Amino acid sequence: MSSIFEPEIIEVMEHSKSGQGKPTASLSTTEKEEIDREFSHYEDKGSVGLEALRIVQKHRGWVSDESLHAVSAYLDIPVAQLESVATYFQLIFRQPVGKEVIFLCKSASCWIMGCNRLQEKIQNKLQIKPGETTEDGIFTLLETPCLGDCDKAPVMMVGEEMHRNLTEADIDEILDNKANINRAEGCRHNHAEGSRHADKSAD
Amino acid sequence: MPTITVDGEQYQVDEDQNLLSACLAQGINLPYFCWHPAMGSVGACRQCAVIEYKDAGDQRGRLVMSCMTPVKDGGIYSVNAENAQEFRGGIIEDLMTNHPHDCPVCEEGGECHLQDMTEMSGHTNRRYRGTKRTHHNQYLGPFINHEMNRCIACYRCTRFYRDYAGGDDLQPLGRNNQVYFGRQQDGILENGFSGNLVEVCPTGVFTDKTFSEHFVRKWDLQTAPSICEHCAVGCNTAPGAREAGNGQDVILRRVVNLYNRDINGYFLCDRGRFGYDYVNSDARIKSVLAARSEQMIGSTAEAGDKVHVEIPPETAVRQLAQQLDAVQKGQRRLLGIGSPRTSLENNFALRSLVTPENFYSGLNGREQELLQLIDSIQRDDRVHSPSTPEIEHADAVLILGEDIDNTAPRIALAVRQAARNRQKTHAQSLNIPLWQDASVRQLRGEHSPIIFAGTELTGLADIASATLFDTPEKVALFADAVSQLIRGADPASLSLTTAERELAVRTADILAAAERPLIISGCASRYGDIIRGAGSIAAALADKSAAPGHLYLACPEANSLGLVQLQEPGHGSLEQLASRLQSNADDKTPISLLIVENDLYRRADHETLETIFSRADEVILLDSLLNDTARRADLIYPAAATAESQGTFINSNGLAQRYYAVYEGLGYIQESWRWLADAARFCTQKSTALAAVASWQHSTDLSDALAGEFSQFAPLATLGPDEDYRIDGLKVARQSHRSSGRTAVRAKARVAEFPPHQDPDAPMTFSMEGIHNAGLTPLQANIWSPGWNSNQSILKFQQGIGGARKGANGGIQLQRQAQRIPAWTIPSHEATTAATSDNQLRMLPLYRLFGSDELSANAAAIASVIDKPFVRLNKEDAAELGLQEGDWLELEVDSARYRLEATLSATQPAGTVGVPCGIPQLASLMPELPGPAALKRVESQATSASGETL
Repeated sequence: MSSIFEPEIIEVMEHSKSGQGKPTASLSTTEKEEIDREFSHYEDKGSVGLEALRIVQKHRGWVSDESLHAVSAYLDIPVAQLESVATYFQLIFRQPVGKEVIFLCKSASCWIMGCNRLQEKIQNKLQIKPGETTEDGIFTLLETPCLGDCDKAPVMMVGEEMHRNLTEADIDEILDNKANINRAEGCRHNHAEGSRHADKSAD
Repeated sequence: MPTITVDGEQYQVDEDQNLLSACLAQGINLPYFCWHPAMGSVGACRQCAVIEYKDAGDQRGRLVMSCMTPVKDGGIYSVNAENAQEFRGGIIEDLMTNHPHDCPVCEEGGECHLQDMTEMSGHTNRRYRGTKRTHHNQYLGPFINHEMNRCIACYRCTRFYRDYAGGDDLQPLGRNNQVYFGRQQDGILENGFSGNLVEVCPTGVFTDKTFSEHFVRKWDLQTAPSICEHCAVGCNTAPGAREAGNGQDVILRRVVNLYNRDINGYFLCDRGRFGYDYVNSDARIKSVLAARSEQMIGSTAEAGDKVHVEIPPETAVRQLAQQLDAVQKGQRRLLGIGSPRTSLENNFALRSLVTPENFYSGLNGREQELLQLIDSIQRDDRVHSPSTPEIEHADAVLILGEDIDNTAPRIALAVRQAARNRQKTHAQSLNIPLWQDASVRQLRGEHSPIIFAGTELTGLADIASATLFDTPEKVALFADAVSQLIRGADPASLSLTTAERELAVRTADILAAAERPLIISGCASRYGDIIRGAGSIAAALADKSAAPGHLYLACPEANSLGLVQLQEPGHGSLEQLASRLQSNADDKTPISLLIVENDLYRRADHETLETIFSRADEVILLDSLLNDTARRADLIYPAAATAESQGTFINSNGLAQRYYAVYEGLGYIQESWRWLADAARFCTQKSTALAAVASWQHSTDLSDALAGEFSQFAPLATLGPDEDYRIDGLKVARQSHRSSGRTAVRAKARVAEFPPHQDPDAPMTFSMEGIHNAGLTPLQANIWSPGWNSNQSILKFQQGIGGARKGANGGIQLQRQAQRIPAWTIPSHEATTAATSDNQLRMLPLYRLFGSDELSANAAAIASVIDKPFVRLNKEDAAELGLQEGDWLELEVDSARYRLEATLSATQPAGTVGVPCGIPQLASLMPELPGPAALKRVESQATSASGETL
C-alpha cells in the first residue's frame, strides 16, 4: 500500500514573524466535503475544529504542521487555537505514528492484572518505549488511562481492535500477526521528521 | 451591605463579589494565583481555599475556594483554620514539585507572586526529591522571554492575552502535567498588549526581555510616578532606573504599569512599556553641541547640514545669553517653536522667554486646527470625555476615522471590554456573578455593537459589528448623516448610497436606543469634518437624552491638548511663521530661532521649513534625540527625557497629570526650561519677562505661573505635592529601603561615597533616605507592601479592589470655559486634498503601534519590529494598474521620491493609497498626509527584494 504519511517535505522554519513561511498543504476535496458535512451540525466554525482534525488524521494518519495550517486556513480558526485542541486530545497525533497504534491500558484494574508485565513484554519484543515507533514503521506504543473494559483486564487496543484478558503469549500472537500482515502488504515508509511542537517533553 | 465573619472578626463587605476579593479588600492576607482583579475568577489554582461554616454551631465547616464563593450576608468563614492552611500548603507544595529552584537567576525573583504566596503559605521545606517536568521554551519576539519550566498553570496568561486582549496566537497546549502556554510555533507575539504578560504571570514564565538587557532586582530600582509620553492617553507608569554598578552612570531600565483606575487600570500597551529605551539609544544627545564654522573635508553631510562639536555648557549658555541681550537691545529678533511632546512647563518657559507674540506651537496649520477643534468640542457641556471605566461600560460604540489600536491603544483595550457588555447583561439576567469569568464567557450571542467608519481598522476588526471603509470625506458625511438621523431627519433626504444610508440608519437607531452610547474619533484621519461630525453626534445624543454625550477624541501626542491651550485659535502654526518671515524679508535684523523638543521635519513641508531655516541666522535646538532638525541647528542643548524630568501633560481627556523625575539625566542633560532659565540668568539686563524666567527655581514655580496666567490651568496650582511638601519632615525616597550596594556601586571608579543628587523639583530624594511607604500620596511608585513584593501588592493601595488609588488625585481636569459648539454643516469649507490629476492617487495615513510614534521608534526592541516602508493599495485599483503584492513602487510627493513595497488590501478606499505615518524612513512624508501623490512602478530593487516577497 502507499505510505500513510504525507508526501510533503517538512521544512525547518526559522524564527520569524508569523505569517512568513507558513506551510501550505491544502485539504483534499474529500476532506473538505467531510468537514463541511460535520460543520452543518455546529453553531460556529470554532467548534468543528476537533472533528476536522479527526477527518484529516483519518486520511493522512497524523496531523502534520502543514495539515494543521491547512485546517486553520480552511475553517478560519487561529492556528494556535487548533493546536490547543490537537494537543489536548491524546488521539490526535501531532507526530507520525506507525501503521498499528497500540493503546495499552494502564488503569487500576489493568495494573492489578499485570499490565506492567505486558508492557515490558511489548517493549522488549518491539524495542520501543511508550511514545515511540518501531524502526520498520509498523508499531507505535502508547499508554492510555482506561479503555473501560476493566472486568476483562488487562486489555489493550491495536488500532480499533480491542484485545481482552491478555497474557504474554497473546501479545506475541497479536503482534506477530499484525507484523506479518503489514510486511505482506509491503509497508515501506520513511520516518518523517517529528513535530516541531515546542513541547517535546516526555510524559 | 452584607456582613461576614472571618476568623471571628466581623466585616462589612460589598455585595456582588467573591469571598477572596472581599477578604483582600479588608486587608486579610489570603494567597491566590489565578484570580485577577480585572479578570475575575476561574477557580483553576485552588490556592485560596478557606473554610465555610454552615452556621455558628458548625464546628467543622467545609473547604471552599474563596474566589468561587459569593459573599453571603451572615456568612461565617475561616482563613486561618488549620485544615484550610494545611490544604493551601499542600497546593503550594504540589506546585513546587515542578517549579525549578532557580529564584537566584530568575528575573521575577524579588517581585514574584509565587515567592510571596509560598512564604505566605508557610511552605519552607521542599520534601520532593524526584525529577521535575521540563519544557522547551519558545522565541516570542524582542519583548518577552519565555521560561516554561517555571509555569504553575494558573492560566492567567492566556486569560489575559486571549480573553481580555483578543490575541489569538498564545494558547494553552497539551494537558495534565504537561500543560504548556505558548504559540503554535516560535515567533513574535502579535498582540500589542503582550507586555502585560510580564505583570500578569504570577511567576517568571514571561519576563521583560528589554529589562533583561540591563536587569537589576526590583528593590534596587529607583522609581517615581511618571506619565507615558508615547501617545495622548496619559497612562501612568513607574519607570525604574539604576546605575550599572561598574562605575557607569545611571540608566533607565524598564517601565511597569502604575495603577490609575480612570486611565490605564492594570494594563499598558507595548509601545508604552517598551518605548522607554529611546532614552538609552545611540541617538541620545548628552552634551551641548555647536556647529563647526569651518568646512569639513570629505564630509557626508548634505547641503545645509551642519557638523557639530561638543562645547562646554557654560560657553553655550553664555552664547544664548548674548543673543538674549541683543534681543533686549533690539539688535536681534527671537522666535520660539514649542512642541506637543514636551511638558506644559517647557512650552510655557519658551513662550515667556520669547514673548507670546513670538511663540509658535511647532504644529502645522492642519494639526493645530484639529486640536483646537477638539478643544472647542470638549468645552461644550453637552459633551463628556469618558474615563477608561466609562468606556468599558459603554453599550454601543461608534468609532469614526480613528484606528485606536494604533493611536490610543489603551482605549482600544477598553473598547474590547465594552464589546462584552451584552454578554454581561445576559449573565446578570441569569444571576451569574460577573466575576465568574469562565461562565460569563461561555454565554453565546452577539457582541455589543461596535461600529467603525474610517480608513483602517486593525486590532478591533474581530469585534466590529459593522464597518465602513471609505475616504475621510465620506466618513464625515456618514457621521453627519448619523447626527441628523438622531435629530429625527428623514433618511430619504440624505445624500448617501443605499448601503451607507442603511448603515447610518442602523447606527443612529443603535446609538439612540443605547443607555450608554460612546463616540470615538480623533486626529488620525487629519480631517476636521470627521471630528465635527463626531461632536455633532455627541451633542445630538445629549439633546435627546438630557445627559452629556460620551465622546472620546484622541489627540496625537502626550501634550497636544496642553500645547494648544497656550495658543490663540488660528495663530502660531509653522506656516504662519514662514509667511511672517517671508513678508518681513526686507528686515535685516538677525533672527534667533529657539526650538524646544520638536523635529520640524515631521510637521511641516519642505518649502515651509526652507523658508524658516533660511531666514534664521541662529537655529537653537533643545532636544533629547538627534533628529533631522538637529542637522540644521547651530547650537544643540541636551534636554531631559520624561523619566528624567518633572512636568505636566494634558491628556486627550483634558486631564492634567504631573510626572516626576525618576533619575537625574546624565552629564549635562537637564530640562529644557532650565537651559532657558540659565541663559536668562546670564543676561546683563533683564526685562520683566526675562527676570521671571531667570527667577524660576523649581518645576512647580512654572506650574504656579501657568495657573496664574491661564484660567484653564488654574488647577495646576493644586495638582500635586509641591517641592516643599514633607511627610513627618521628610521627603519621599525614590529608592527602596533594601536598595543595595550604595557604598560599593561606584567603587570601581572611586571609593568615595558620592552624595545623592539633590532634587529641586519634587518632594522626593534620589536616595534611600526618606519616607518609603508614601501610600497615601500620589508620590508612591514603588508598589510594595510587607509580604507582597510583587505588583499584586497594588491591592494594598486601592480603595477597595479595583477602586481608586488611595491618596492619589488621578489627575485634575482643566478648567476650560464652557462654550457651545455651533451647528456645523458638513462638508465645511475644508480644503480638499483630493488627487488633482489622473495619474495621481490620494495618500491616507495609516498608523502603527510600533513606528508611528517618534520617540519610541528609537527604542532598540521596538525599532526591530517596525514595518518596512510600504504602500497599501486597494485590490481593484491594483488590478487596474497591473500591480501585485510585493511590487516596488515609487511614490512621488512634492519633488521627493520614496521607494516602497506594495501591499494589497480589500478595504483600502478606492482611489487612495495607505502610507504608514511617521515610521522612521518615511517621517518626512508625514506633513504631506493626507495628500496627492504620483505612483510609478519601478523594476528591480528586485534583486535585494526577491527574498522578501511572499
